[in-house]
Amino acid sequence: MASTTFSTPAARRLRRVPLLALGLIALITGLIGGLNRIGWTVPQPVPDLAYWHGPLMISGFFGTLIGVERAVAYGKPWAYLSPLLNGIGTFALLAGVLMPVPLALPVFAAMIMFAGAVIMARRQPAMFTVTLALGAGAWLIGNALWFHGWPLEVVVPWWIGFLVLIIAGERLELSRLLQHSAESLRLFAAAAGLLVFGLIVVVINDGENLRLVAAGLLALAAWLAHYDIARRTIRQSGFVRFSAVCLLTGYAWLAVAGVIGLVAPLPRPGLAWDAFMHAISLGFVFSMVFAHAPIILPAILAIKVPYHPRFYGHFALLHASVALRLAADAANWETLRAWAGLGNVAALVLFIAVTAHAAASAPSQRRPK
Amino acid sequence: MNHDDKAVIEQQVREALKQVIDPEVGINIVDLGLISQIDVGINSVTVAMTMTTPTCPLGEILTDQALEALQVSLAAGTEIEIGLTYDPPWTPERMSEAARKQLGR
Repeated sequence: MASTTFSTPAARRLRRVPLLALGLIALITGLIGGLNRIGWTVPQPVPDLAYWHGPLMISGFFGTLIGVERAVAYGKPWAYLSPLLNGIGTFALLAGVLMPVPLALPVFAAMIMFAGAVIMARRQPAMFTVTLALGAGAWLIGNALWFHGWPLEVVVPWWIGFLVLIIAGERLELSRLLQHSAESLRLFAAAAGLLVFGLIVVVINDGENLRLVAAGLLALAAWLAHYDIARRTIRQSGFVRFSAVCLLTGYAWLAVAGVIGLVAPLPRPGLAWDAFMHAISLGFVFSMVFAHAPIILPAILAIKVPYHPRFYGHFALLHASVALRLAADAANWETLRAWAGLGNVAALVLFIAVTAHAAASAPSQRRPK
Repeated sequence: MNHDDKAVIEQQVREALKQVIDPEVGINIVDLGLISQIDVGINSVTVAMTMTTPTCPLGEILTDQALEALQVSLAAGTEIEIGLTYDPPWTPERMSEAARKQLGR
């Protein structure tokens, strides 16, 4: 039994709590900024939150969250520097620390995540490890562009690439259980390659052309909808089924985003951009979060999050409010968009409350001695 | 402890580990082929587990649950040790027929 490693003590896992708390600060301030942006007047603890909504949500919140999750997967203490530096960077941004410190820290954070992903890809050369490395690389490039003052129209597509490639890589990793054919892997590589190529074109064109990115998103959504294990696990019951429902619904939103990107005049700021971004970030990414939180939270914090059918409540509220938001964008109806946005936030708040309640009322939160 | 006793305990260990379900796919860790080795000694059991990939974040939680299942199932005082190993690496062939069927393969 060479190179067998033994489990991490619970006390050490508690050290991950402050990292998640940093991510939570980004989420709360990001949501306040988002509400102010769509017309609600919510007291802002920090000025300009509406302007920082996107960076707080994507790089701040998801960057920290994914950083913790990837560090748990790598199992190396230094990997936790990624979410730590990113979380501090977010905090520095909110605290008004002099530029460019708040923009430099996420660059270092992404470098560490990328280094970890490259080490894993070298140790286990496979399509999924390469995809995870590409995802971390997309975050690094996005953060570097942000640091160098590129407009958010160029930076944000790279952040989208980060989220989508990391998620797609993780799904591909799990789909090994199905032993996909070489042809299906080639199709995955073509879809992911199209997305990465599209991201490069965005930089060359100064953010003018997002169509290749959109085509890549559509292709990856189609691949995931067809090949993901969720299509099999949806036939099961309880949490496994709930998770599969979240995943497949998320893929549908990713496809919708791809179609919007192909037909709408992106990336001009406006309604089409709002619909494109939120189909991805809320419809796709948060649906993935809903699907995985009861699995990942126990893995990160050693707490139990037992499934309850009421999980379908936040699922339904999220997807109904995203559909409403896209309808409001299509109809150019600002009042409806404001209410839909409030519904989006309510879905996330409900998700946090329901998850916390499930964890608190778990039969036994005590760990074996 | 003779060979038969060891075999009985090993079977007991397998049955206990079947209570541990991978939350993502709803299949137990034995049928998924995640148990690499079981060593039964005098008053001790050592289990080597693996994950489908070294980048899977569920390694810690599944080993915890496996430990919990064995503590409930085995005689009090049995020394239980569970570790993660990636040598040999997991391959899809390690899945049982039951697991394949559950995944519709």
